[in-house]
Amino acid sequence: MRRILAVDDSASVRQMVSFTLRKAGYEVVEAVDGKDALAKIGREKFDMIITDLNMPNLDGIQLIAAVRNLAGCSFVPMLMLTTESQAEKKDAGRKAGATGWIVKPFNAEQLIYVVQKLVK
Amino acid sequence: MSVETRTEVVCTLEKAKGELQALARTTESEIESVARFFEGLAGHADTILNLAAAIVGCVENESVSSALLKVQTLGAAARRFIGDRLQATAGILETVTTEVKLLRELSYVTRSQTGIALETKALSVLTNIEVARLGAVGAGFQYLAHELADFSKSLTADTQELAGHADSRTAAIEETRRVLAAELPCLREELARIEVDLGNDLAAVESSLTQLSRTPVQFRTCVEVVAQQIAGVVAAVQAHDITRQQMDHVQEALTLIATRILCDGNAENEAAQELAQAYAGLTIQIYQLRFIKKTIATWASQIRTCVGGILRVSTSDVVGIGPLVLEQERGLSSQLAHIERLERESQGYSGRIQRTFGGISNLMQLLSEYLQRSKSVRDHLQLLTFNSIIEASGLGTQAAAILAIAESIKGISAEWSQITDQSGHAMQEVLKLEKQTNEEMGAFSEATNERLREAQDQTRAGLDNLRTAAAFAAQRAQEMKIATEKMQAKTTEVGNAVDLLDACFERIDAVLAELEAARRPLEIDNPDVKERYDAAEIERLFSASYTTEMEREVLHAALRGTDLPEGQKTFAGNSVELF
Repeated sequence: MRRILAVDDSASVRQMVSFTLRKAGYEVVEAVDGKDALAKIGREKFDMIITDLNMPNLDGIQLIAAVRNLAGCSFVPMLMLTTESQAEKKDAGRKAGATGWIVKPFNAEQLIYVVQKLVK
Repeated sequence: MSVETRTEVVCTLEKAKGELQALARTTESEIESVARFFEGLAGHADTILNLAAAIVGCVENESVSSALLKVQTLGAAARRFIGDRLQATAGILETVTTEVKLLRELSYVTRSQTGIALETKALSVLTNIEVARLGAVGAGFQYLAHELADFSKSLTADTQELAGHADSRTAAIEETRRVLAAELPCLREELARIEVDLGNDLAAVESSLTQLSRTPVQFRTCVEVVAQQIAGVVAAVQAHDITRQQMDHVQEALTLIATRILCDGNAENEAAQELAQAYAGLTIQIYQLRFIKKTIATWASQIRTCVGGILRVSTSDVVGIGPLVLEQERGLSSQLAHIERLERESQGYSGRIQRTFGGISNLMQLLSEYLQRSKSVRDHLQLLTFNSIIEASGLGTQAAAILAIAESIKGISAEWSQITDQSGHAMQEVLKLEKQTNEEMGAFSEATNERLREAQDQTRAGLDNLRTAAAFAAQRAQEMKIATEKMQAKTTEVGNAVDLLDACFERIDAVLAELEAARRPLEIDNPDVKERYDAAEIERLFSASYTTEMEREVLHAALRGTDLPEGQKTFAGNSVELF
């Protein structure tokens, strides 16, 4: 079963990401912020990472940049799931190594479609 | 503005900020409960849909929809079966009526033969007397007397036997005719009833099969609807995260406003500028809070609507598929049992008719043998008559009496011949009618039974498939009922959790009242406060932390004094933008 890491400081958003992806047949691990996510990525292997942008400790862009520097994580798909829709933020995310950008709230069907496409 | 007033306003702002923090915490916890209960609810909805999918799959795999065709074939076969038998019975009744007449005629003819037997016996006695009178000359006629006596004896015995059989057959046929005549209207009535029953059963089966055939489509629609409703709740729960951030931004802005109010400014003009910025900031936060309230109301309502939509699954046809399959199976079983009973009744009826006509065959066999013997007796009599006449003529006047006896025998022989022909004719008529009856009895034949049985077997096979599906549906229906009850309970929990959110409206209103109260001294102190700030500067100052376009739109509305912007109308969610 493909494993996905869902990173968000909001418990309810984590719940919704997990719920949507579990229903689609994925195993989902949750992390409460960027720091927690990095610790989990150091211990386990994930097929994809979906992260919020604004989080305490380590934000989404910092997390993506950090993951891209980890060995074996260069090609792990990473989606930014955020309320932010400004072009400069998106640009920063792309430069850090994000694979895609979703403005909250996400469309469940679309998310599953993209995850299936990227994780295949 | 006095220092006391400034302090008072700042205190109000601090209080409002604290209330907003507390509100954000409460709302976060409540929305977590909503999300948790919703997960359970969605799980139960999934269980129901999976069970319905299994039943729909089973119904499709078992080709239950082909049962209608089989039942229709059976219905048509049963109708034909009954119709043919009804028609045959009417024909048989007519034939039997004619047969009764013919048998009576035969019986009459047979009885007239008894008279001939007596006459022959008398002639035998007279011949014996003449033989005795003639002495040695008439010894040759002893044989004639003996033959006549034998003939009379055998004729009497045959006639009695035949008459007895004919009488009993006539009685049996008469009884059959009576029964048939009485049963025919009942049979017609029964056929009419069966036709109506069959029509009703077929209509019911057709209706439920049509309903059943629609279920896969309804099921797919239901799955789509549930998926949409689930997506709606998923989006609404996420929308909370947006309002949470907006509330955070309002709190940050209140801190900023407090610093502006507390700032004395070196010059009077600078101080007025700071207060104008604080005033504008407060106006923006009032707008932001109103918009937050509106957004929470929208997504709370969306959660309620979507949860209601999911709950409707429990009352949809998809959930009713189990009972529907069961009901259909019961309907078909009862119809098949009805047709089987009908066939059994018809078999009993057919047996009775066959036994009656079997009796006629025996009688005809007896009559045929009797006629054969009669013909041989007639030939023998004719030969005797011929010899007696020759012999008596040779003896002259001495044997005048014998000659007269021989002439009488000749007359009897002619009469006998005529009666035999009449019997033969009656027998031929009866045989013809029997043949006709046998043809009509074809409707009661094994071949027609076989045709009905074939249709029954086919229906039974279709019914077996339906039974398999029904047993499966019955088992799943129970699980579905349990899942539905659980889903309903979960819906109540989600509803209660969403209801708790309603309390936050009052708390937002309280904060809004505090912010309005905090803004008022600024207006009183500086009546032209609305005109004393730079909009661009205000936007730069307060939008720095904004994370959504909507917050910026609300800010613009506040600065322009226009209505609040429309919120996100649909919570269907946003698409993914891939880099």
